[in-house]
Amino acid sequence: MGKGYMGKVLFVDLSKGDFKEETIPDEVYEKYLSGTGLAAYLLYNRIPAGADALGPENIFGLMSGLLTGTGSLFTGRWMAVGKSPLTGGWGDANCGGQFSPAIKRAGYDGILFTGISEKPVYLYIGEGKMELRDASGLWGKDAVETEEMLLEECGHDAKVACIGPAGEKLSLIAGICNDKGRIAARSGLGAVMGSKKLKAVVLDGCRRIPVADRDEMKNLSKICSKWVGMQPPFVPGNMTGFIGAFMRILPTQMAQDGMLYKVMLRKWGTVSMNQVSAEMGDSPIKNWSGSNKDFGMSKSKYVNPDVYTDCEMVKYHCYSCPLGCGGICKMTGKFSETHKPEYESVLALGGLCMNEDSDSIFYMNELLNRAGMDTISAGGTAAFAIECYERGILTKDETDGLELKWGNTAAIVSLIEKMIKREGIGDLLADGSKVASQKIGKGSERYAIHAGGQELAMHDGRGDPGFGLHYSVDPTPGRHTIGAWLYYEMFQLWKKVKSLPAVKPLYHKDAKYKADEEKAIWSNACSKFMNVLNGSGVCMFGAFIGIKRTPTFDWLNAATGWNKSPEDYMEIGERIQTLKQQFNIKHGIEPKSFKANDRSLGIPPLLEGANKGRTVEIDKLMKDYWTAFGWDPETGKPKGETLAKLGIE
Amino acid sequence: MSYTIIEVCNGCGACKRLCPANAISGTQKSLHVIDGSLCIECGACGRVCPKQAVKDSLGRICTAVKKSEWEKPVFDHKKCNSCVICIDACPTGCLAMSGAMGKDKHGKPYMKDDKACIGCGFCAAECPVDAITMAKPAAKAA
Ligand code: SF4
Ligand code: SF4
Ligand code: SF4
Repeated sequence: MGKGYMGKVLFVDLSKGDFKEETIPDEVYEKYLSGTGLAAYLLYNRIPAGADALGPENIFGLMSGLLTGTGSLFTGRWMAVGKSPLTGGWGDANCGGQFSPAIKRAGYDGILFTGISEKPVYLYIGEGKMELRDASGLWGKDAVETEEMLLEECGHDAKVACIGPAGEKLSLIAGICNDKGRIAARSGLGAVMGSKKLKAVVLDGCRRIPVADRDEMKNLSKICSKWVGMQPPFVPGNMTGFIGAFMRILPTQMAQDGMLYKVMLRKWGTVSMNQVSAEMGDSPIKNWSGSNKDFGMSKSKYVNPDVYTDCEMVKYHCYSCPLGCGGICKMTGKFSETHKPEYESVLALGGLCMNEDSDSIFYMNELLNRAGMDTISAGGTAAFAIECYERGILTKDETDGLELKWGNTAAIVSLIEKMIKREGIGDLLADGSKVASQKIGKGSERYAIHAGGQELAMHDGRGDPGFGLHYSVDPTPGRHTIGAWLYYEMFQLWKKVKSLPAVKPLYHKDAKYKADEEKAIWSNACSKFMNVLNGSGVCMFGAFIGIKRTPTFDWLNAATGWNKSPEDYMEIGERIQTLKQQFNIKHGIEPKSFKANDRSLGIPPLLEGANKGRTVEIDKLMKDYWTAFGWDPETGKPKGETLAKLGIE
Repeated sequence: MSYTIIEVCNGCGACKRLCPANAISGTQKSLHVIDGSLCIECGACGRVCPKQAVKDSLGRICTAVKKSEWEKPVFDHKKCNSCVICIDACPTGCLAMSGAMGKDKHGKPYMKDDKACIGCGFCAAECPVDAITMAKPAAKAA
């Protein structure tokens, strides 16, 4: 009887050009699931302390999720893993598309690469063949061109993950693409792939994915599918800003039910939040120094959600997704189409740089996707450069003559093009704002808005302190897909994990900003649960409609034949999070050093706008988070007894 | 578990040409062999073999079925949630997603390459909401 996972991983030694299959014992899946959990287990001992992230000792992996291909829904995420050259610690990034099941159909839960190839290669697995093939002709091609050429060569049923020029040029903010420009963008893992001279992985297997109880999987999926299908008519896109403004003005807040967000995602995708977030103080504006006062509705209306759906030709569904938040949009100019830009990309290249030109955002979105460069970090770094220019820290000579002013669309586009090419000022910025600020000096560090080297995502901790905390404490810092107070509300974990406190249906907003004991419980729960999701390949948007409607724990039991309780799964998540933290300790990282940039935490507070006067009680929140995890409250290092309890050697 | 080929095989190669997993090897007019580690148990070899030389994974002799009578997927687009699982499940790549369906921008699966379909039913087996039924083409027309 099947257990949902393939039970094997493949190690490819790029220096020697050889392959080694490794069977993974069942106990490992029971302790770490698959995906990033299994990867953390495999990489923790095998990457030597202090290894150069861009050297032969780093191990780079592409992982599928335990639930991928089991008849569950929302479980098509694949994960890139390895030591991050951007943060120096544990790196992972995940992405939807069609690539995740392809890993399992090739026979593996993950494919991992060691060493460095002498010349550019790609890995091909399919038709009973497994080989490293010459990729010299692909080197220099963008991600879309690369994929098209590989499909032509290997057959159109194959699935491709590849890097673009950003990864080749070892940009520390490069990611890995699949499905013509969807990108596992964070942690700089595209550079790791580039350093190994691994241009692409092409998979064309057709293995069956074994499942313990397929009928039960379907029963659960049918319920989930029904919830997702409920779609009441909704307000026009240009009204969404008013929802945000309304939420800003109210002194109280209703606990969020993800069903509302689901409706917006299905109609528009993540861009549904563009104006809502800008209005309610969720979107950072003007390199985190501005507010809704600077980027009000008269500016944000150019990025209202209807702008994106008006040119959307067809919805895009990742593998096993009943929602379809993505879309393929028509474009004019150099490119004929693009994946519908995401909220993160729009705001990073928009409000963060005070850019209100929607066409330029479409263009830069496609450009960055093709280059395989993270839009969040690219936008964040561009905003940093603009602020440096505006403050006279960078002069026109140093910017190759670009007038890097807030909202100067043409200059912002040129800057992004230069970053991709690593040309002139672009070379200075291609490794993110932290590296750039260290080179520039002159106090520019204050304007590099990152945590542990990674640019913060477009969610403001001054609006929801959970974001500020998770940016600062996660082993992969600076990301928005790891936890927030909002996420705790939407996951509704208390409906399954009885020890967790329910969120009050209506509460005074002030309660959000108090660093009380409950917050440590919330944030710990988010971290644990996100690790369960990333071990299973579950999309966070699916999880947003709540643990009962997207029944991750029940699917896991039905797929594996295990009989684990929700608490058991939360403990698995705790183990993975602790192991990732321990990975960072092994590589010499002081957890405190990951604390996000002061400005992003309201030090000093903003003088106006939605987040006026707010400061995140970051030190207390971090301490409480560490304490609740059984990590040392002063240093953030997992205690010996905690490691022993979780069975981490 | 895997399908196997027994001595009566005359080496016609019909199964080898059809096998989507490239699991069958053998030269013309000699006994063919199935690599058990590659076989995905789609049953195509058993359905096509004219000599009744193929045994399924439970050891039962398979009977050949005329290609025109192989079952094909029939989609219930009302039940379908566009999850793309069937497209991925199909070992021969004969399914594809449509573009927008009128006002509804969510594509739906359809049979793109009828000739390539081997009637394995994997699409129906993996559809999480049972939006696919397998039916003989004749029954489908009726
Ligand atoms: S059952 Fe299918 S996969 Fe197995 S040998 Fe026959 S044709 Fe190939
Ligand atoms: S029955 Fe379904 S899965 Fe099998 S070949 Fe035909 S379309 Fe593909
Ligand atoms: S697997 Fe089922 S629900 Fe999903 S696209 Fe195919 S027919 Fe539709």
